[in-house]
Amino acid sequence: MAAQVIVRDLKKRYGDVEAVRGVSFEVQEGEIFGLLGPNGAGKTTTVECLVGLRDPDDGYVGLFGIDARKQPGEVKQKIGAALQTTALQDKITPREALRVFGSFYRDKADPDQLLERFALTAKADAAYDTLSGGQKQRLALALAFVNKPKLILLDEPTAGLDPQARRDLHGEIARMKADGYTVLLTTHNVDEAQRLCDRTAIMNHGRVVACGPPRELIAQSASTTSVFLATDHPIEPEALNRLPGVEGVVSENAGCRFRAVDVTRALAELIQLLSARGIGINELHVQKATLEDVLIELTDSDRDG
Amino acid sequence: MVYGYLFPVIFLVAFRVLYRSEPVPMMRHMGQLLTVTILGSTCLGMPTTMVSERERGVWRRYRLAPVAMTALISSAIGVRFFISVTAGLLQLLLAMAIGMSLPKHPLDLCVVFTFVSFAFLGLGLVLASMADNVPSVQALGQCIFLPMLIVGGVAVPLDSLPKWAQRVADFFPGRYAVESLQACFTGTGMSSSGFDFLALTLIGISGFFAGAKMFRWDAQQRFAGRGKSWLVAVVAAWGLIGILAEAGIESHKAPPQSSRAALPAAITSAHPVASGTPAPTVAVPKSIAPSGGTKPEKSRHQSTIWQDVTVDEINQNTDFGLLPSDDDVVAPIARKDVAPPPEIADQLGALKAALPEWAPGKVADPVQRVRNLLLVAAVPDVSRAEILEGYVPRIVFDQLQQDFPKEELVRLLFWVAVHPSSGDASAAGQMDQLGLENFVGNTDTLRERVSVYGLKLVGRLIGKIPVR
Repeated sequence: MAAQVIVRDLKKRYGDVEAVRGVSFEVQEGEIFGLLGPNGAGKTTTVECLVGLRDPDDGYVGLFGIDARKQPGEVKQKIGAALQTTALQDKITPREALRVFGSFYRDKADPDQLLERFALTAKADAAYDTLSGGQKQRLALALAFVNKPKLILLDEPTAGLDPQARRDLHGEIARMKADGYTVLLTTHNVDEAQRLCDRTAIMNHGRVVACGPPRELIAQSASTTSVFLATDHPIEPEALNRLPGVEGVVSENAGCRFRAVDVTRALAELIQLLSARGIGINELHVQKATLEDVLIELTDSDRDG
Repeated sequence: MVYGYLFPVIFLVAFRVLYRSEPVPMMRHMGQLLTVTILGSTCLGMPTTMVSERERGVWRRYRLAPVAMTALISSAIGVRFFISVTAGLLQLLLAMAIGMSLPKHPLDLCVVFTFVSFAFLGLGLVLASMADNVPSVQALGQCIFLPMLIVGGVAVPLDSLPKWAQRVADFFPGRYAVESLQACFTGTGMSSSGFDFLALTLIGISGFFAGAKMFRWDAQQRFAGRGKSWLVAVVAAWGLIGILAEAGIESHKAPPQSSRAALPAAITSAHPVASGTPAPTVAVPKSIAPSGGTKPEKSRHQSTIWQDVTVDEINQNTDFGLLPSDDDVVAPIARKDVAPPPEIADQLGALKAALPEWAPGKVADPVQRVRNLLLVAAVPDVSRAEILEGYVPRIVFDQLQQDFPKEELVRLLFWVAVHPSSGDASAAGQMDQLGLENFVGNTDTLRERVSVYGLKLVGRLIGKIPVR
């Protein structure tokens, strides 16, 4: 499959702050690609460079084979975007907005169809300032489709939404993929990235620190299964550390937490150790590593950038 | 909405109330009113809207689309021009509804309105580009708007302002707007507004240029960082206009030795301040040699001695409709049926008794005699003796009519009025004999008021002004 988006060594700084320091990744046709990272990682700036709102200081940005820095207008014709804060004039109606924005493009979608698809038909002729938050969000999405784009960019699309609305939007994004669109989204919500994205690039301090399908990232990382143990008598961490494959023992609440590469073996040894000392188990939680662990591990270790 | 439409209506009402006894309502103030309308719409309304939209991220969203920024800005400006035109029409219609007649040069008005809008739209664009957020754009707008209103000749007519304010006004676009617009109502239309057009065009171009250069579509781009230096272009343009105005206009102000004495001339012309144009509709002869000799005016018949003055000549040369109203701050006259308030009744009684015996009122030269008596009316007016000033002129008029036969008085009054700078004004220092305060200082304004009162009485005597 052809790479629709190619970013190579993108750099952007604002005064003294280097927001993006050499970011590279590719987005394949038809996939949902996520840029995941904490606030300030440079995700929004990267997206802004892609959509033509910002001019990069350095690097190559190519969409559909077009150099975005040289022909931003052409690129804009082919993409749709919904950014973090979309606002429109107070008195414009959804129908008018879709028509106006449609008029900017060579290839335009039918406003009525878009209104229907995003459940805005009832409010099609209501002024923007009378729409609810959810309706405004749906309109922002609808506007992204006004030019029948091949690539949709979404910047923190579920920020500020309640769980139900978030769920609905995830369904919508999955539907986009099913309809053949390519989606690039940014998020700091690990759950979202893990659930939605085919591939994820984890960003921190302006760099991509890992890139790939979420499950591969999990598998590749040093993160392993994490175990939480609370005992009726104290046990010193060093004893736990000596168990095979156990590392990162930390005290937590009334017990301690550690990671184990081979959790079955580690637990077997643990039980032996505890019964040898006559210590009873109050709580024992075993949890598979998640993307969040990967994220924290990667961003922690990269703390100083 | 508020700035474009409501705001000017407030001014309309204010002007109407302030100048309620003018013969033709609002006619003399449409220049000011329309300037306020355009200012409100372009320098307060438009920047507020633009900055608020920028803050909310509206411009950002539009920038995602493959449309040029200039197209978006141009359309915003175009719409604002349309709004200004409709607001201006509204003001016109309202004014006409309360009795104003049609402007003298309606087609010229369309052209001038466009020029003025152009200038102020440019300024509005600069304001929109400068302000970071809505509160600061409001503050900036008011910083421009209020000075223009008060000392720039927009709300307060230029000829009521002191000289220094008039000079300041030269540097602001407001007065060129008022002048050129007013000329379409009561003056000679576009033909006399050459410099105004130049000023407005230059100011407009500098505004659009600088505004476009400094324009920001993103609220995060702070003004402080970006190309503030373009503001220099705007300031330079205003400064240049001001300097040109000072240089050019000074030499056209008439009469040469005193611009204040130009009020009689100004009364009979449409421009609040003589603006470098040849004498418009009517002219009171302007050039007087200090010795009191006379020079005949170029186009109209002027007698060389007062005895030759005829009523026809007076009518030809004076437009009584343009005199300040009797209720104005300049040269007021109290109504006949209004009794003076008790606190000055005694003073007025004393004046009435003393006036027939007053020495300057009995000198041999009839011209000087008339002049001295008119000075009695002029002094309280110039020294702003608030309550007195309306009542003294009545007493003076009565005295003059007692002392002189009507035809002679008409000639003498006209003569004194059109020769404001000649003759002796020392009688102003002998007012204490009449129970009034003496006048000390520069007599330019005093002489001008003598002329105004003189014309007012002439108007009454020959039936051009209704006697109240």
